[in-house]
Amino acid sequence: MTLRDPQAAPARVDGYAPIGSYAAIGDGRTVALVALDGSVDWLALPELDSASVFCGVLDARRGGRFALAPDDPHTVARRYVPDTNVLETVFSTQGGSVRVTDALTLPDEGFGPLRELSRRVEGLTGSVAMSWSVEPRFGYAGRATTLAWRGGTPVAAAGGDALAVCAFDAGRPDLTAGAIRGRFEARAGTRALVALCAAHQEPLVIPTRDELEARLDATTATWRTWTDSLHCSGPWRDAMVRSALALKLLVHAATGAVAAAATTSLPEELGGERNWDYRFCWVRDSAFTLNAFLQFACGPEAQAYFWWLMQASQLTHPRLRVLYRLDGGARAPERALPLDGHRGSRPVRIGNAAAGQLQLDTYGELLQTAWLYATTGHRIDRDVARRLARMADLVCRIWRQPDAGIWEVRSAPRHFTQSKMMCWVALDRARDLAGRGLIPGRHAGRWSAEAQAIQEFIETRCYSPRLGSYTRSADSEELDASLLLGVLLSYGDVATERWAGTIEAVRRELGDGPLVRRYSGEDGLAGSEGAFLACSFWLVEALARGGRVREAADLMDELVGLANDVGLYAEEIDAATGAQLGNLPQGLSHLALVSAAVAIEGATPR
Amino acid sequence: MSVWGALAGGFAGTLVLTTALRAGNELNLTRMDLPFLLGTAFSDDRTRAKAIGYVLHFLVGMGFALVYYAIFLAVDRSGWWLGAAFGLAHGLFSGTALVNTLLPLIHPRMGTPSTTAPSVALLEPPGFMMLNYGVQTPLVSLAAHVAFGTLVGGFVSLAG
Repeated sequence: MTLRDPQAAPARVDGYAPIGSYAAIGDGRTVALVALDGSVDWLALPELDSASVFCGVLDARRGGRFALAPDDPHTVARRYVPDTNVLETVFSTQGGSVRVTDALTLPDEGFGPLRELSRRVEGLTGSVAMSWSVEPRFGYAGRATTLAWRGGTPVAAAGGDALAVCAFDAGRPDLTAGAIRGRFEARAGTRALVALCAAHQEPLVIPTRDELEARLDATTATWRTWTDSLHCSGPWRDAMVRSALALKLLVHAATGAVAAAATTSLPEELGGERNWDYRFCWVRDSAFTLNAFLQFACGPEAQAYFWWLMQASQLTHPRLRVLYRLDGGARAPERALPLDGHRGSRPVRIGNAAAGQLQLDTYGELLQTAWLYATTGHRIDRDVARRLARMADLVCRIWRQPDAGIWEVRSAPRHFTQSKMMCWVALDRARDLAGRGLIPGRHAGRWSAEAQAIQEFIETRCYSPRLGSYTRSADSEELDASLLLGVLLSYGDVATERWAGTIEAVRRELGDGPLVRRYSGEDGLAGSEGAFLACSFWLVEALARGGRVREAADLMDELVGLANDVGLYAEEIDAATGAQLGNLPQGLSHLALVSAAVAIEGATPR
Repeated sequence: MSVWGALAGGFAGTLVLTTALRAGNELNLTRMDLPFLLGTAFSDDRTRAKAIGYVLHFLVGMGFALVYYAIFLAVDRSGWWLGAAFGLAHGLFSGTALVNTLLPLIHPRMGTPSTTAPSVALLEPPGFMMLNYGVQTPLVSLAAHVAFGTLVGGFVSLAG
């Protein structure tokens, strides 16, 4: 990916940069968001789902940040160093230009800090006056932070957490008013470095400059090596590689879990209440996640993810929680933080109350995941096989219940059509696995009978002749783009009139240009939201599976063009303004992109 | 006191400890599975790992029984209650240091605090008192270890 044309960084509104102006850097344990103007406005330590030390993206006044930018008016152009999660930003002023390289570095064989954020500043031309400011605010800006010198290094500390600010040729650090600041002149050929070295419940490790520089270079090389191993081709290869790298940022290296997104409470509507913590692993995403890993030939990630999924769900077996913590825990109590919220979008939530909902679709997703895993040469051991069979038995008992649906609405439970379809998928995949002798098949007859009953329910109560489409829920006239998953997961035959009609109805009623909204009707929340990127890619895939390949490819081109300047997607896009909305980077958006691209590649034009 | 009593107690104690943890699994109290954790250090085939792990777990159990026996000899006392106290200490040590801190450092497939991309661990680290495997894991683990210690202490005492 080349540097895009230099531009002025978009003006902050009330101190907030647009969500779409952020790039993400990470190390497999946590993620930092870097705004186009050079400010790190989000970083949780030591883990992705830990409390933040910078959350300026959620509270510009108190949240804390790590700013680094020229003093004078400037333009900015940036990109990821090709095939890496290392960010490269070029600031140009009238007096010269500098290149800033940002990374959460990966440990080498030496003795290094627990987490390390390095920012290297290289003078390219002329001379540029640079300023930096580290404003650490531990515990989502809720814990008292002390700043002090420790052996010549500024250190911020709060309880068991500490952050050393190591600056080299970046001006003498100055500790004032809750911040560590520095100023320096970046001349052509010079190189400065500012690094944050974090400790958690252990002493700080203060590395030397050589060690920091070496780790930053090695991090670039390591990411390239990983990307080289990806199996990826086709007209959207660049977007797929970026998606793979974005997903890798969400893989929790210690457990194999995959977070839905790297952030909490970035709003789905500016100023609204639709602000959720996505730093959990949703079972809903599991089939797309495993499929993407398999498509990319990421064997270790696929195996670790499936193992983690089966281990995490063991405590609640045979029932599934909607989501699990990255450490495999099942509890995710939701509470609001006393923060302003991104551009006044309150509440800022941590935890997620959806964890306790009944979402029937999760069973279909999990059994589809197991089916994918088992039918691609991986072994399912006897314990897991037994559990999968019991899960199918459970589906037989509970599919008649109303639920909160895939979109985890906070209104009263309903008989959501997509939930029923996924129950059918669960039983269908269980039957198939039993037929292959991979799980116990004593109850396969019952699974078949119940699958038939589910199908009858859907075909009689979840289809509207007036709309010519399946509906959002039984006996309703509302639409839901998640119905497209019925095609993607082979509930329905896309060649039939009902499915062709459903695809058209979704496009007609929920579409807005290349984008698709999630559903019509109420969801128990005030306000509205943007168009949902994953649904937009699902439409592409449904079209491709229906043989409308040219149409799908054109739509795909449009959607790929909606990524931000470094190729990342949040959860949603405001169709009117093009602004990205919701948590970033959003795994499901990138997973749906990958799935759609693969589907187009494998589709046969009609 | 007899070493054979310690070995018999170690065998019976490990049997009870393993069964208690397995029962904890079945009752959805914990995801802690010591044979699985031990076995996966040698194989990423889950079935084979469990088989290896059971053998190793019994060997480790016998080893701990011999350590108990050595301490009984050193203090010149043994018995059910002293064994139970040793079991409690053993359980606390396991949860805070042995399984929480030491096992991840030597286990090739377990995550540690320093595991980062591009690596990805197959096994989640246990966490303090193995809480990552469920909030009731410390209770199940401590009860199982107390039972182990009680049996070792009792068998040593009976064989004396």
